Amino acid sequence: MSENMTRRGAIKGLAGIVGGLLALPAARTCKAAVQNGLASSPAPAGYDPFKHKWLMALDVDRCIGCGLCVEACCQENSVPEGHWRTWIERYVITKPKAESGDTRGETFVDSPEAGRNGFPESLIPKEEILKSFFVPKLCNLCEHSPCTQVCPVGATFDAPDGAVLVDKNYCIGCGFCVQACPYGCRFLNPVTHTADKCTLCYHRITRGLKPACVEICPSQARIFGDRMNPVAEDPLERFIANNKVEKLKQSLGTGPRVVYAGLDEEVR
Amino acid sequence: MPRFLKMPPQIIRLVLLTIGIVCAYFTARYFLTPQSFGQYGHYRGDALQEIAARQPFWAGKAACVECHTDHAEKLAKGEHKTLSCETCHGPGEAHVKNPAEKLPKLDMTKLDMSLCVRCHAASPSKPKWLHQINPHNHYTGNVCTECHVPHQPNEVPP
Repeated sequence: MSENMTRRGAIKGLAGIVGGLLALPAARTCKAAVQNGLASSPAPAGYDPFKHKWLMALDVDRCIGCGLCVEACCQENSVPEGHWRTWIERYVITKPKAESGDTRGETFVDSPEAGRNGFPESLIPKEEILKSFFVPKLCNLCEHSPCTQVCPVGATFDAPDGAVLVDKNYCIGCGFCVQACPYGCRFLNPVTHTADKCTLCYHRITRGLKPACVEICPSQARIFGDRMNPVAEDPLERFIANNKVEKLKQSLGTGPRVVYAGLDEEVR
Repeated sequence: MPRFLKMPPQIIRLVLLTIGIVCAYFTARYFLTPQSFGQYGHYRGDALQEIAARQPFWAGKAACVECHTDHAEKLAKGEHKTLSCETCHGPGEAHVKNPAEKLPKLDMTKLDMSLCVRCHAASPSKPKWLHQINPHNHYTGNVCTECHVPHQPNEVPP
């Protein structure tokens, strides 16, 4: 190396370094200009996602299947017709056949229009029903969300405050996440052609409001709270303390966070 | 002459081309990666604010109670205390922003799935604690409010 070193070469090298350093601020300004052109985001809203941990709990024994939560969600988030960010399932378990010795018969699950308009009378006659109940469903806010892991472009992510969100500007609409979610909580939005899902009404919770479904639920079947900032007599804390709570499909290792009380073994 | 310059020219061209492509990649990455990418994790931090920028559609009970304290107090005494105002009255965000814009008056004669019947129609799937009626043989008039006060269901109207 040293045998090739000439004065001319050294000066050239030095000039290159100085030139590079001089160009850096220009490059930074240039970068900022390019990114201002690309960015569409509004100013930050004084909300620190590291200081919250949102969670929803569902009380199956309180759900009356009115479907107002689904209606509220669809209106709040302009969910396109025929798609749902949250839905209600009706479980109907029939009586076991006489002398079969079984504890229960068959299980039927339905969710007409996601329960948005309430539920028509079940086709199974009342005398044959052993028991029946409603189960509201939504994004389970997984800790190790499979939908985030499969996203090839980093468009979906687990926000630090517990919400699993989709960056519409980055999503390429490949649909991997729709297939990956074991709870069926995602869909491809036919209007934006990007993945869509429950955002926990992110625009509401960051403003101090409850998610639309929780706000509208008449029977307090949905309970919402911030695990990091419990309020006085926190309803969520009371719910977890007073009920034997469960989560859906824990065996899959997705680490669902949404808690349910009063689940039957048939509910998946 | 350094030894690497004695390599066959086609190899040198290939090496230069590779260096050029790598440089182009890093330059493009430097300019095109959004500033907020990686702020919280492997995603665009600004996306959080963009998602949060949406305007709420339902005002929330707290906004209603600010003005309508009398109704809220009455509601809090009865069994309908768990209901949000908007559960029955519909979205009120427009009314909160501009009080002159009134919410539509509820049509209590409707015995379809819109008001009382939506929740109180009997069904074997509904929990036992809920008061349920068969809308076809329960009522004698045609308006629920003839016998029940929606804000205070325990009370009988005068």
